[in-house]
Amino acid sequence: MTTLTVTQNFGKGAKDIAVYRKLGGYSTIGQKLFDLSQFEMIDLVQRSGLRGRGGAGFPTGMKWSFVPRGGKPVYLVVNADEGEPGTFKDHVLMQEDPHRLIEGMILCGWALGVRTAYIYVRGEFLPAIETLNAAIKQAYEAGFLGENIQGSGYSLDIYVHRGAGAYICGEETALINSLEGFKGQPRLKPPFPAVSGAWASPTCVNNVETLMALPWIFENGAEAYAAMGTPKSTGTKVFSVSGDVKRPGVYEVPLGTPLMELLESDKYCQGVVGKLKGVIPGGSSSPVLTVEEAAKATMDYEALAALKTMLGSGAVVVFNETRSVVGMLASLTRFYAHESCGQCTPCREGTGYADRILKTVVAGKGRDGDLENMLSLADNFSYTTICPLASADAGPIQNFIGKYRAEFDAVVARNPEHADERVTPAFRPGAFW
Amino acid sequence: MGHCHKHVDQPKAEEILPKLEVPSVLSRVEELIRRYPVPRSALLQVLWLAQETLGWLPQEAIKWAAAKCSVSPVHAYGVSTFYTMYKKEPTGRFFLQICQNVSCHVLGAEDIIAHAERTLGISSHGGTTSDDLFTLLRVECLGACGNGPVMQVNDDFATDVVDGKLAMPAGVALTAERFDKIVAWCRDRAKSLSKEPKRDATGGIFESKGHPGAKGAVSQAQGFYAPVPPALGVAAVRTDDGKVKLTWRAAPETTTLHIEKKTGSDFAVAASISGKEKEWLDDAAEGTEYRIVTETAQGRGKASNVAKAPAAKGA
Repeated sequence: MTTLTVTQNFGKGAKDIAVYRKLGGYSTIGQKLFDLSQFEMIDLVQRSGLRGRGGAGFPTGMKWSFVPRGGKPVYLVVNADEGEPGTFKDHVLMQEDPHRLIEGMILCGWALGVRTAYIYVRGEFLPAIETLNAAIKQAYEAGFLGENIQGSGYSLDIYVHRGAGAYICGEETALINSLEGFKGQPRLKPPFPAVSGAWASPTCVNNVETLMALPWIFENGAEAYAAMGTPKSTGTKVFSVSGDVKRPGVYEVPLGTPLMELLESDKYCQGVVGKLKGVIPGGSSSPVLTVEEAAKATMDYEALAALKTMLGSGAVVVFNETRSVVGMLASLTRFYAHESCGQCTPCREGTGYADRILKTVVAGKGRDGDLENMLSLADNFSYTTICPLASADAGPIQNFIGKYRAEFDAVVARNPEHADERVTPAFRPGAFW
Repeated sequence: MGHCHKHVDQPKAEEILPKLEVPSVLSRVEELIRRYPVPRSALLQVLWLAQETLGWLPQEAIKWAAAKCSVSPVHAYGVSTFYTMYKKEPTGRFFLQICQNVSCHVLGAEDIIAHAERTLGISSHGGTTSDDLFTLLRVECLGACGNGPVMQVNDDFATDVVDGKLAMPAGVALTAERFDKIVAWCRDRAKSLSKEPKRDATGGIFESKGHPGAKGAVSQAQGFYAPVPPALGVAAVRTDDGKVKLTWRAAPETTTLHIEKKTGSDFAVAASISGKEKEWLDDAAEGTEYRIVTETAQGRGKASNVAKAPAAKGA
């Protein structure tokens, strides 16, 4: 029996505070917490080995330890701008168990001295925003939010901030800009948000799932959490599995679980539909795994890094032999071109070029050299920008073409004139306008 | 719908302001503004409010939102064009958004989109039917990939109609038949209900006290609440020259560390050193017990764990 640390209340109607408390909810907000100093609370999370579940996998306790205390107000911003294609775990988590998120936020708030916290939810999730607001209202009425929580002298207010449709706002500095009422364009780091974030104050940006793991850790101890998973990737992780599997959905498993177990087990996805062709293991930005690689992959940060891909947000996209990888890559590249914020030239222009080349290839007008052109572009726009969006596009381009080259070549060869040199129309000033 | 390249007839200020400058909207604007330390930060929410009230965002509404949030109109316009969910043109009563991203693409989103275009006779790049009932738009990931291909009807996820309501049951994907079912449901609804009921675009605002110090806020700033942090992981080791070395971890806000040594049955302060120190040396026999009491601006913390001096090396 797998120990569940985040999804244990699924399907039990925990949206309602009475049900949630009957299931043991809010039991951490008591004397045990009030006797704990901020330093000890951060130490507890450091010892648990909890890592950020949003994508980067940065140790949460370490992030918290960078936040200065006793100066400017400290903000907690929950990143619920879940936009990475393939990821839908936070959406389900907020819908099923909003109070656990609030409880996790109180624990984090206690550790960092947060007075005001914001939950940044992407605009498309209005039903989840309504659920959250209803839960927050109940938590205020029960005295778990507001001033002087349960007589402890600690005060916390939580507001939901609705985004308005921009993938880039999932990047923490872009999210902060969006929260401040600007366009969601990423900022240069340093200064890191933990030191100077929202309104130039120390800001802790954590993913929904990260915060939802805190009540379990506080209740059962850091050592119990660290005992799960692998030594460097401790605890459990929620994976969102989509694509060609019999039962797509959200599954919580200990880190280090074999990928094929997640896909084949009766408890989880119940098998692949058709013959497996490849798996994207951690959201659209993570390089794809071929069948052979998928067979030996285990789902933890280190093992996937060794396969030159990443765990990311835990979004597993499965595709079978009948799916065209050219079409998939075209879909991804169009997405990144659309979502580029326009701030850095390599990304703004590069993702657009890549998108246009792929569209020509898909339309059956590809020429020899187009793929080399794509690879050269990807090489040029990765790691030359403020944020990792362009690199996130480069990864799939390099890996899809690298691992399924024959299929790409076959699509290019469909053009009867593929060997001819492409004639670029002479430049005429004004022709583009 | 964030970017609008075609010409849209813009209503005049006097046509829309009577709808916006009403107590029910203004009180919500005030509530939103006091949630943030500066009014500017409420801009996204106030734009949502304007869109909820008018159905879309005409330029005069953007100007109105800018004035409420104390930013320039051009700032507000820039923000409104950056985010794709602000509508720069009116849409049909049922705004259908079909996901075309990778998970949905793999499962046949293009076929569904083609079916939708054929059925409704409009383009999937924002076309609206002549009866103003449907607008169709292909969009990027909607964050419900487990149900792919997936669609949103206005603000709700819909892959099926269950018990006369739009629904997205777990694992149920949108198919051509289910799309037709949803369209039929929408047409029925249009016959029985004259217009869509208003829905709070910011998710059901409740009365909040606001951000401490913000305009109109009544909340108090945070005082000191947590106990003084103790020193953690106190350990004693023997150095090469036979001294006892104490190490520990202390919070950055610690001002003074009181090192206590057990003499007889009680601990007594052996030294008080700066909170920035990382180690402390002493001459002591094996088995001498040490503990540390920290002090910050708020007072003294609880005593740390007890560390015993080990035997001298080679002894």
